[in-house]
Amino acid sequence: MEAMQAAAQRGEEELASSEFLTFTLGQEEYAIDILRVQEIRGYEPPTLIANAPPFIKGVINLRGIIVPIVDLRIKFHLPLVEYTPFTVVIILNVANRVVGVVVDSVSDVIRLSPAQIRPAPDFSASFDTKYIQGLATAEGRMLIVTDIEQLMVSREMDLLDSPDSNGAAAH
Amino acid sequence: MSIDMTQFYQVFFEESAEHLAEMESLLLGLDVLAPEPEDLNAIFRAAHSIKGSSGTFGFTDLAELTHVLENLLDKIRKNEIPLRAEMVDAFLETGDLLKTMLAAHQGGEAADPGTVAAVSQRLQQLTDGVEGSAGTPVTAAAGAAAPAAPAGEAVAPSAGPGERGFCIEFVPTAASASHGVAGFVAELGRHGRVEVLQQPPQDEPVGFWSLRLLAPALPESVREQLDFIAEKDAWRIEEDRSVGSDGAAAFGFFDDAPGLSDETRGYGFFDPLPEAGGEAEAYGFFAPLPEPEAAPGPGLAGDPEGAYGFFDSLPAEAAAPASAGADEGYGFFEPLPAPEPASPAPVAEAQALSPAQPLDAEDGSYGFFEPLPAPPAAAPAPQPPARQLPEEKHEPGPQAPVPAAAPKVQKPGKAVVAAGGDSSIRVSVEKVDQLINLVGELVITQAMLLQTVAQMQEAAPERLVNGLTQLERNSRDLQEAVMSIRMLPISFVFSRFPRVVRDLSAKLGKQVELKTIGDTTELDKGLIERIADPLTHLIRNSLDHGIESPEKRAALGKNPCGTITLKASHQGGNVVIEVGDDGAGLNREKILAKAREKGLQVSEQMTDQEVFALIFEAGFSTADQVTDVSGRGVGMDVVRRNIQELGGRIEIESMLGIGTRMTVRLPLTLAILDGMSVAVGDQTYILPLSYVMESLQPEPGDIKTLANQGRVIQVRGEYLPVVVLHEIFNIQKAVTHFNQGIMVVLDADGASAALFVDALVGQHQVVIKSLEANYRRVQGISGATIMGDGHVALILDVSAIVGMGKQQMQRAA
Repeated sequence: MEAMQAAAQRGEEELASSEFLTFTLGQEEYAIDILRVQEIRGYEPPTLIANAPPFIKGVINLRGIIVPIVDLRIKFHLPLVEYTPFTVVIILNVANRVVGVVVDSVSDVIRLSPAQIRPAPDFSASFDTKYIQGLATAEGRMLIVTDIEQLMVSREMDLLDSPDSNGAAAH
Repeated sequence: MSIDMTQFYQVFFEESAEHLAEMESLLLGLDVLAPEPEDLNAIFRAAHSIKGSSGTFGFTDLAELTHVLENLLDKIRKNEIPLRAEMVDAFLETGDLLKTMLAAHQGGEAADPGTVAAVSQRLQQLTDGVEGSAGTPVTAAAGAAAPAAPAGEAVAPSAGPGERGFCIEFVPTAASASHGVAGFVAELGRHGRVEVLQQPPQDEPVGFWSLRLLAPALPESVREQLDFIAEKDAWRIEEDRSVGSDGAAAFGFFDDAPGLSDETRGYGFFDPLPEAGGEAEAYGFFAPLPEPEAAPGPGLAGDPEGAYGFFDSLPAEAAAPASAGADEGYGFFEPLPAPEPASPAPVAEAQALSPAQPLDAEDGSYGFFEPLPAPPAAAPAPQPPARQLPEEKHEPGPQAPVPAAAPKVQKPGKAVVAAGGDSSIRVSVEKVDQLINLVGELVITQAMLLQTVAQMQEAAPERLVNGLTQLERNSRDLQEAVMSIRMLPISFVFSRFPRVVRDLSAKLGKQVELKTIGDTTELDKGLIERIADPLTHLIRNSLDHGIESPEKRAALGKNPCGTITLKASHQGGNVVIEVGDDGAGLNREKILAKAREKGLQVSEQMTDQEVFALIFEAGFSTADQVTDVSGRGVGMDVVRRNIQELGGRIEIESMLGIGTRMTVRLPLTLAILDGMSVAVGDQTYILPLSYVMESLQPEPGDIKTLANQGRVIQVRGEYLPVVVLHEIFNIQKAVTHFNQGIMVVLDADGASAALFVDALVGQHQVVIKSLEANYRRVQGISGATIMGDGHVALILDVSAIVGMGKQQMQRAA
């Protein structure tokens, strides 16, 4: 009886769960909603954008559309940033825009139920916790479940036009 | 040349709908307590554009309402009145009403004239600063202002039996403005009851009058008197059917639209024709053909047992085939004036009154637009009548005069799709753009393959090389062919203007001749649509401020009839449109004085070009009096902004007393740009070729410094500020000394600068891609493109870069 209930509950959890793409940045492993991911491709040197912040690497041509490339490793102040033939770019589809992010490596696609995602403790300021949906454990690894859309449209990423950034650029 | 304005109606409707939507979204986002000036300006501009174009197209009801709206917006914009929440409500309500009115012109339900009057009253009250709650006083005022019947219903309560209503509208000449009009109104009063629906303000007697006369018949003398007090093309009379007492007796009594009377070919000149069939209540409504006696033929030649053809509003399609069937003449209708707010929707009435269908079944009489085979005289002509407009074939849309469209005439707004027999098709611009994008991709892919093969050198099989060469040729042809789909002759825009000039010159009491040159110059459809507004502004401006009154011209020894010249031509990769007038010219001193008054930084040393460019500043107008034509100073800044958005620029040349010439330079299309690629370090940038004047290799010592900050270079005796691209963009450079690189002299908006780059790479046609679609605006960059090797190159924003040069100099000075 109890076993059956547990099984039923697990079924519900399966239903409510969704798939996440996990990638690594330095020692940390992140998980993002797979529905935001358009494709994964190798890194190619982008075209520089004048006076852009260092974590915006530039723009690339993705089959005729111009896509900005953000290096999350630089954004998150990782000590080692190098571009090898294995460096990958995750092309995201967020807020009706296409944006590429550079990460160390893409690891897995996993399924997480809401119950598996635990609230994150308050970090000190290095990474704004408002973009963190929570922490999850899979196969003994800790995953930082990130709301990538919120992060990408946030003012600190400087990817969107905002009155502020215009004013700053116009100086 | 006769112009069928109906072909532009669809564009007008779409544009106005866009403006309304924009206005609404801005209004909704407005913070009442602290409104953004830019938003207020944008709302004002939207209203201004609607007013301008509805005036152009003769939709006077729209123009009148937006004029009131604009007045209030203008005061708010200038901080003369604080914005209040109830104003926003009133604006939104006005926007809704305008939408309804637009829909009415497109064949929808007519707007309630009571509402129109109420809204306009309310706006007026807000403008005058009357503290009125949105409720009762307004309604009361509306009742007083609009005693007319609610829309759509046939009988006004005030109309007695046998009485009919006539709307009389005119613009009196200056001479008869005060006394002549008063006498005329008094004279009308002897024939029936007269209501003044609209009159110009006391201090400005030359203006738009609208009267309604309730009388059993229209006195013969009225027309003569009108001819006396107003220019012969500045008045019209039409029956106000909202007060017609019964449907059967109703007949249209139209004169041609004001401003067009000297067109002799087929107008809607509707007269009762009781003799046609011997039936007293049978009336035809059709164009008088060259021989008046032929007129009754098509409509009534059969058995008019109480039958009458009745077409209203947009009779062009119906009349043309029918009369062509009769005697090969054709009715060429000028667009009729917009129905007065008080008159019901003509479409609905046409259906209600037209017994064509039932009668047709009963006794074989027929309506005009029933394409019946039986009586040959009335059957629509098998061939569309030859129309003279050469551009007709490009616009197969709403007005395509194919016979199959005739039955649809009862709903003119909906007869959009022309039936077969035409050699063109209507395709959405989106599909064409998609095609252009795909071809662009193909060309890039092709270029990449070609480059790969070139790298293989000897190793490439000959057949592959040959095949690729063939592919290159084909894809280039394909690209050209696809691009040409979007190309249209500029006559599409130009043909609007004779009407604009005619109406406006009549209104302003000026004599103006419009000359157009280069009508067949082709440019992109997207440009055509978006250049019309700015050009209209320029022409209105020339007419209002440029051309002097006939008396003044005569006194100056000029031909009393002024000339406005519109000229289009291709120059390199540009389309150049000139709007020239032989009027008063720009007064440098007056502009400078006005600029100082406005607090702009000016000096006597400025060149004429720079001074004249000041008239493009927002809110800048040297007009002494604000008319509803121009003088508010919105027009010109919108003009410049619109043209810049199109990737073009505008220049003014003027001589006091001789005339003014405005030159608009536009790229051929919006999608492709002639560019020069320049290298800085390992980056490639594209400079739009139209801004590049020359390039030179500086000698050591050519570059001088100013206060050790700003750098200048002397080119042909002129010192130009030097903008160093790798410095402003913070990129690594390959060259270290000025004499190793290249100076590119750029010219934008009359200002010049020298841009220092490492090297010139080549010249390309590049497909413009948006950087903002996925990223944001970048200072100094106007867009991006994809080069042959698949890499992205950024397109430089020359105006911004020249501006940076200027700033540097100012900081240094």
